[in-house]
Amino acid sequence: MLGVGERPDAARPLSDDDRDALAVLLAVHGLGPLTLGRLIVRIGAPSRVLEVARSGGGASAIHEAARSPGGDWASLPKTVAEGIVTAATTTDRILADVRRLELRVVTPSDREFPARLRAIEIPPAALFVRGDPTPLAVQTVVAVVGTRRPSEAGRRVASRIAAALARAGATVVSGLAVGIDGAAHAAVVAEGGRTVAYIGGGHDRLFPRAHERLAAAIVDAGGAIVSEYAPGTQPSKGTFPQRNRLISGSSDAVVVVEAGARSGALLTASWALEQGRECFVVPGPIDAVASAGCLGFLRDWPGAARIVAGVPQLLDDLGLPAGAALGPVRSITAGDRIVSSTVTPVSVAALLVEADPVQHAVALALLAGATTVDELVAVTGQTVAAVLGAVTRLESRGLVRGNGGRYETAGRLAAAPAPAA
Amino acid sequence: MLATLLSATLVALDGRVIRVEVDVAPGLPGFTIVGLGDASIREARERVRGALRNAGFVHPPRRITVNLAPADVPKTGPAADLAIAVGILIGSEQFTARGDRVALIGEVSLGGDVRAVPGLLPMVAALARHGVRRVVVPAAATQEARLVREIESVPVATLAEAVDALRARRRAPPARPARVELAATAAGDGDASRLPGPAVAGFGLQPGIPDLAEVRGQVEARRALEVALAGGHGLLLIGPPGTGKTMLARTIPGLLPPLADEDALGATIIASASGEGPIRGLIRRPPFRAPHHTSSYAAMVGGGRSISPGEVTRADNGVLFLDELAEFSRDVLEALRQPLEDGRVTIVRAGGRAATMPARFQLVAATNPCPCGHHGDADGSCVCARGVAEAYVGRISGPLRDRVDLWVGMPRVPPRVLVAGPEPEASAVVATRIAAARSRQLARQGRRLNARAGGRSLRAIARLTSTTAGRLAALAEHEQLSGRGTDRLLRVARTIADLESADAVAIEHLEEAARWRAPARRPLTALAV
Ligand SMILES: Nc1ncnc2c1ncn2[C@@H]1O[C@H](COP(=O)(O)OP(=O)(O)OP(=O)(O)O)[C@@H](O)[C@H]1O
Ligand SMILES: [Mg+2]
Repeated sequence: MLGVGERPDAARPLSDDDRDALAVLLAVHGLGPLTLGRLIVRIGAPSRVLEVARSGGGASAIHEAARSPGGDWASLPKTVAEGIVTAATTTDRILADVRRLELRVVTPSDREFPARLRAIEIPPAALFVRGDPTPLAVQTVVAVVGTRRPSEAGRRVASRIAAALARAGATVVSGLAVGIDGAAHAAVVAEGGRTVAYIGGGHDRLFPRAHERLAAAIVDAGGAIVSEYAPGTQPSKGTFPQRNRLISGSSDAVVVVEAGARSGALLTASWALEQGRECFVVPGPIDAVASAGCLGFLRDWPGAARIVAGVPQLLDDLGLPAGAALGPVRSITAGDRIVSSTVTPVSVAALLVEADPVQHAVALALLAGATTVDELVAVTGQTVAAVLGAVTRLESRGLVRGNGGRYETAGRLAAAPAPAA
Repeated sequence: MLATLLSATLVALDGRVIRVEVDVAPGLPGFTIVGLGDASIREARERVRGALRNAGFVHPPRRITVNLAPADVPKTGPAADLAIAVGILIGSEQFTARGDRVALIGEVSLGGDVRAVPGLLPMVAALARHGVRRVVVPAAATQEARLVREIESVPVATLAEAVDALRARRRAPPARPARVELAATAAGDGDASRLPGPAVAGFGLQPGIPDLAEVRGQVEARRALEVALAGGHGLLLIGPPGTGKTMLARTIPGLLPPLADEDALGATIIASASGEGPIRGLIRRPPFRAPHHTSSYAAMVGGGRSISPGEVTRADNGVLFLDELAEFSRDVLEALRQPLEDGRVTIVRAGGRAATMPARFQLVAATNPCPCGHHGDADGSCVCARGVAEAYVGRISGPLRDRVDLWVGMPRVPPRVLVAGPEPEASAVVATRIAAARSRQLARQGRRLNARAGGRSLRAIARLTSTTAGRLAALAEHEQLSGRGTDRLLRVARTIADLESADAVAIEHLEEAARWRAPARRPLTALAV
């Protein structure tokens, strides 16, 4: 596999005080990882920085302390120094937010901090993690990214790739955006796999809001939502590109499924090449708007960007078991095609996280053995029209199939353990 | 002497006025008919000869020449018999007719009776358009003739009555038991003797038509049938034997609203030209034709020398139900192409003459998924060899596939639903919704139902928003629908919206409609797995 940055031997986990102080400092507007890092080097531990800020000397004391003897780094902006003073006096509010959002502050000296991220040019000073940070540090991490406005085919491909990666044991990383990102995360959740979403703002500023449910499902399924920004940070034009460097930097490889000519996914791909990560691009039709960026990238980076020729091929190129490209097939579907699944079944609840109440009722009725619309209507008490529409929605998501007036669960829903009545 | 009278003949659905010139001249006795007549016209000689004798007239032992003009109109059938017989009587000076433009339509029997002929209505209409004010018609078809108000129809039961009618001054029309027959009129093709009386207006009471209340379970197919009838969409029911496919389709006559005036006139003309039996008034019940799967090509499409309408035309403005669809011959199914695409059928006769007749029927079909019928049945009881089911339904191809908007599976109904399921809705209730949905469509887009709305107008009436258009695109992409398949889905969704009185198609309408899409590029059997 690809090279993984080494954890500095000297690093010892931070004390709780320093960890809290770091969280507070990260909440200071304009204080990026570079500046913060130098500040800490000059003054000492994060808690020392706050002590100086509280010492009564105010902003100029910070400024003074930050001045380097050689004069090479004298430019801590005044507003930032003032921000640090303000933060030092309101630590409780910031820390309360961190607790309320159930965030863990993971620093480069922590075991859970992704080793790959330590090695990028400007590593984050800390990560705010909602959920379980362990998937951040697994053997193979692959990012699946793309446009916010994909074609239906693109969405499907993203789901297939993400699901196959999850089945192969990789952690799928993406950006929790609508479109390809969302499809990739959702597919992994549906597989019962762990996925990590890097967001471009504070945890209390989730964007888009509609993805709160998806975020909750990711966390429930053992994955994590990660940000280098403290709570309260508004996502902006500036934060998303920074976030993209984390997506690529925390991964062994980046897969771009669909990207328009100006898609942010291309930035992630560029970061990947810069950071020495493998970069895979799904080619598309030359007249498809959603693929223009992919094709352009392949053309601009011959030999560097690689083509995704198929899901098994991608897994093979990544050194993962290509057999994972095949979804689990239930033996009930075809007598002569019984493929056993190695994937842990997903709970029905996780599969139906995006389902509306009628879909929910129909899915449960099918799991309970109903097969015809007569039975579905009788069991759910819904109208024929409502049941038929819900079946279509479930079918669109590959959870139900219908033939000749008979319906059955399909895909992950067919493999899911029956819920307790 | 020469006698000239008017009569008419039928070309496809049109009446054509013809002139019957009868010359009775001295010379060797003989009887010749000239002027592009078919075999039944030549046989008129024998019928007329016998009728004259047996009705107490003289068949003159002279040279009789009958010319049917104009020469370029093909004359068929026995409708000119009566004019020929009367022409001989006038030509041989056995009586003198009053008035100049004497018109007669009717077949005569050897015994001198005047019999009804197919196509009387369009023929009488043609005479009226020609300016004729009075026509002698077979008494048995009086009411049919009198549908044309612009002309006085004089009913006669025998040749003798015809002579009387023409010789005499105008007589009062005979007092026929009009009341009873008119009562039956409302029922159209029903069994008149069993009807309660003139109050019969609703169609749901027809004997022999099952009511939807008798069909248990099958809620999906019932819903699909309602949608299909509301929008005029092609419907295909697929399922194992005994699940109610035929039964469900047979309820259709009780669900369709009566025809509007113009369509009713068309239906009556087609019924007349088809010789369907006595017509006692304007036929308002939409036709429901269910030809057997052994029907010949000519029976389905139309044909014969007189180009009589086939089933596709007789189902115009109504429903053509093809039960056991896969059992129909390939030729017959192929022949449905033009009518399904254009709403009319063109018949080209050997002589190069062609006739075009309307055929705007709604297709409803039923089939088993395989020859034994059990392919895909839950109990796995199909005994057909591998591949047989695919071949069986593979016959349903091309234009038929394209014109079926709704593909509906009818699985076996569990016995407990058959016996104790909820009480199903009655036809009358469903018919009301269908009628309301149809009037919305007609008010919005003229005489076209949604099934025939195409391309641009379909987009216009669907009133998609960016959200609904997006969902439609997603469904089409997920199901890999062709452009045509996408239009079909949208049309059905439009009808579902009309059933709800919704102005715009909404996502839930699209999602319901998607249930009944055609199987994509798969053999039909995939439906039955
Ligand atoms: N859903 C139903 N509700 C009530 N009666 C039914 C139903 N289905 C079938 N039957 C009964 O079974 C008889 C046979 O049904 P029908 O002829 O409609 O079957 P079919 O589906 O057309 O079968 P085939 O494929 O053999 O033509 C009906 O006349 C009716 O008495
Ligand atoms: Mg049947």
